[in-house]
Amino acid sequence: MRAYQDFREFLAVLEQQKQLLRITDPVKLEPDMAAASAAATRLGNRSPALLFNNVAGYQNAQIVTNVHGSWANHALVLGMDPDSGIRDQFLEFVRRYRMYPGQLERVTSAPWQEVMIDKDINLFEILPLFRWNQGDGGFFIDKPCVISRDPDDWNNDDVENVGCYRLQVKDKNHLGIQTVPQHDIALQLAHAEARGEDLPVAIALGNEPIILLMAATPMLYTQLEYKMAAVMQGQPYRVVQNAKGLDIPYGSEYVLEGRILSRKRQPEGPFGEFPGYYSGCHQYPVIEIDRVLHRKDPIYESVYVGRPWTELDYLQALTTSAPIFDQVNSTFPEVLAVNALYTHGLVLIVQTKVRYGGFAKAVGLRVLSTPHGLGYAKVIIVVNEDVDPFDLNQVMWAISVRVNPAGDILMLPNLAENLLDPACQPSGIVTKMIIDATTPIPPDRRGDYGEILGTPVGTDTWLQKLEALTKELQR
Amino acid sequence: MSATTQVTAVPVCPRCRSTTTEVRGVSPVAGVWTVYGCDTCFYTWRSTEPEENTNPDKYPAVFRLEPQNLPKLEIAPTIPPLPAKKT
Ligand SMILES: [Zn+2]
Repeated sequence: MRAYQDFREFLAVLEQQKQLLRITDPVKLEPDMAAASAAATRLGNRSPALLFNNVAGYQNAQIVTNVHGSWANHALVLGMDPDSGIRDQFLEFVRRYRMYPGQLERVTSAPWQEVMIDKDINLFEILPLFRWNQGDGGFFIDKPCVISRDPDDWNNDDVENVGCYRLQVKDKNHLGIQTVPQHDIALQLAHAEARGEDLPVAIALGNEPIILLMAATPMLYTQLEYKMAAVMQGQPYRVVQNAKGLDIPYGSEYVLEGRILSRKRQPEGPFGEFPGYYSGCHQYPVIEIDRVLHRKDPIYESVYVGRPWTELDYLQALTTSAPIFDQVNSTFPEVLAVNALYTHGLVLIVQTKVRYGGFAKAVGLRVLSTPHGLGYAKVIIVVNEDVDPFDLNQVMWAISVRVNPAGDILMLPNLAENLLDPACQPSGIVTKMIIDATTPIPPDRRGDYGEILGTPVGTDTWLQKLEALTKELQR
Repeated sequence: MSATTQVTAVPVCPRCRSTTTEVRGVSPVAGVWTVYGCDTCFYTWRSTEPEENTNPDKYPAVFRLEPQNLPKLEIAPTIPPLPAKKT
């Protein structure tokens, strides 16, 4: 557990851990940024962050991608050993998540106040913007922390929101924002629009890495991302409050201040999205930018989004798994772990003890009613305690021998779903499915489950021995 | 890097063929690229991108838009009724 004061400190740690690759060769914004970042996602568990500093058309632009793009980097974000496995990171993430809330620490100034622009704002000149996928409707800011408050409960810090929402740069000082109805900011915007008022927002770019993870976490509406970041880093979370009362991370590179324009919608998209398909074009809200602040020689951060597995999948892996686990486990303590690593939890695997026949299906239903489950979870696989939900070989074994489709598949038609799921029909509505891959127990008497195979005596001892020998061998 | 000719006239939008386009920005190192944008469909492109992104005739049919269809795009999130309830 450790706190990084700003984005630069984390990049320095990545570099020291040999997890930051400096690309000093000349690059073009298109197609090099996308091609290099997509390639980085194929480098496996030790994939490094990329820092580009020789960008065509700029004297000194610096662009960073793939910051969270490997389990090693993800572990470093949490202040853990870069070799930590997924299950260890999950358990540690959950342990800290349950220490909520931590403390906010408000200070009066931050390095991002060094340069201030409040007239003739031109985002195309201030930021090194570029296109990620060829069919994208424009240049997207896709790794922001968007900060907003609830107009109906303005001074309540606990309902202040920090979310990661994609932003299309429309013109010199206007952005499109995707606020799907399941997101917290959509609720706040609805409150503002019912009053006929603009919703003030602050957009922080190039952040120390824990807050981005928190912005990607589907916490409860009444939980503040900064207070969760504080327990994740083991120290109060440092912010600077702006004139509107929005709290902005101390460690950001750029801060854009503006308003979501009340009751206005405008064409936005398409964008190559997390399911691996383009999002299509919608009428989405519009943000007007009034003021931009940034550090001297700012570093711009962005994330490649494409066909999984990409950096985005690391960002959304444990941040999605842990809250669903916490919320379901608080209702059903029998639930032991949740794996929502696949495509933002469109498919997820729940490990549970089973109290009586039919219990696993109820666990699956509870997953569907969590805040994240409402808009994402579509196929839920429930497995017994002897199946590690993070080991797909074990999960497939459970499906192959413990599922009789006649009684184990539950189909639930016409439920709410994220607009970006291409399987929806119509958009935003889908049939969801629970696969009960647990062994039937009374009063559910189906199948003929005799005696299950154990593991040969001494396996664990041999495993330890062989692991040590293999490590020696590969040194 | 391929040489780019600085176009004086602002081109037609590759995606929706509107002429409501403008220069949004130019490269800080002069003459490397120009970014254009369309005020009808909000498409943005850089002069140095491939023709699939910059030339209306080469722009992929699947991504093209008709200006008259833009108001029919799905609205999300929906806009709540105004009569500001209580407060
Ligand atoms: Zn256009």
